[in-house]
Amino acid sequence: MTIKEIMKVTAGLAIIYLIGGVLLAGVYAKTSPVIFKKAKEEKEAALKKMAPEADAAPVKIGDWEPVHKHAEYYSVTKGGETIGYIAETYGKGYSSYINILVAVGKDFKVRKINILHHAETPGLGDEIERAYFKDQYEGKAIELLEVVKLEGTEKILAISGATISSRAVTKGVKDAVAMLKEKYEGGEAIAEAKEAKE
Amino acid sequence: MSDHMHEEEKISYLKLIKDGVFKENTIFRLAISLCPAIAVTNNLRNGVYMGVAVLFVQVMVNITVSAIKGFLNPKIRIPIFMLIISGWVSVTDMAMAAYAREVYKQMGLYIQLIVAFASILAMAEMFASKNKIIPSAFNGIGMGLGFMVALTTISFFRELLAKGSLWDFPIINARPLLIMVLPAGGFFAVGILMGFFNWIDMRFYGGKGAGGAGGH
Repeated sequence: MTIKEIMKVTAGLAIIYLIGGVLLAGVYAKTSPVIFKKAKEEKEAALKKMAPEADAAPVKIGDWEPVHKHAEYYSVTKGGETIGYIAETYGKGYSSYINILVAVGKDFKVRKINILHHAETPGLGDEIERAYFKDQYEGKAIELLEVVKLEGTEKILAISGATISSRAVTKGVKDAVAMLKEKYEGGEAIAEAKEAKE
Repeated sequence: MSDHMHEEEKISYLKLIKDGVFKENTIFRLAISLCPAIAVTNNLRNGVYMGVAVLFVQVMVNITVSAIKGFLNPKIRIPIFMLIISGWVSVTDMAMAAYAREVYKQMGLYIQLIVAFASILAMAEMFASKNKIIPSAFNGIGMGLGFMVALTTISFFRELLAKGSLWDFPIINARPLLIMVLPAGGFFAVGILMGFFNWIDMRFYGGKGAGGAGGH
């Protein structure tokens, strides 16, 4: 191979990749606004589903960082009064960060959880999306948010074959409840006063 | 005369599809792309969706490669094939994320994996770069269908045996063999089915069994 040949091949490759890049950029420009819009709608719908008894859309009240990821939390109101909170949270699973929504009541017991996004092992870890697993969290106070492998306790029963994913979800939920509890237990007034002082 | 030729062409297209499904079945005969055959087949739905996605990408890649084969410098054909494959996979990924979100949520995890499938690169190299557009498209359809049939068969048995359900609908209220959902179970399922297809081939068609190449 002479230098000239090498240059020719390199130039050809560069041009073809450039064309490919431009074409892909075109498709991206066409699809990304649609994707963004639909993702936003889905998020709003997901939040609404977490708080069926609320009469207004959940209002964002702050940001926090579970496992160094950015997440938001919201207050749920009915008739102008706060009846609970929703927090987005993350758990570090077997092969991905599991994105979870947690709804708690004023008593800081879990009302409901929902798995928004994850990339756990199909067939094993993705069982966390199933109702039988998620329903276990309903009504649990923070002390009961712990994974066990034996049936017959009030704690969270691990999915067989997916202990790491089960633990990740539980840890994420627990972090969220602990965060909300620390900020808002004892009434909003106190929390607000605290924030004002800071 | 022209009628006769037309008929001959038709038969060879049918043969291209038949070969793809049976004689040159990606998984059971060529034994390539075993990685997805094991990774995504623990659930019938995933197996079928993956098969459809691969069918689409395979056909589009074959057509593109065949269309540009005249301008290709053979020295740089592999990187160009990779660009074509990853380009089509990205287009599929973005288009599905935008316009078929429900399906995308189920299989978005796997779409990007298609870039690394040996079967697609192998067909671009072995068939599409040497043949005209239409035969290449039929070759793609055949190979894609073969892949889909293989994934559907494997995932049918794995889901039924591991979870007692099909397409997430419970069929039997038991989990007879949970190991089938694990990668090890995937090897068992692929191995047993491959053996079965070889047996049919040898017993009824006088074949010599599959000579596998291996690969992702």
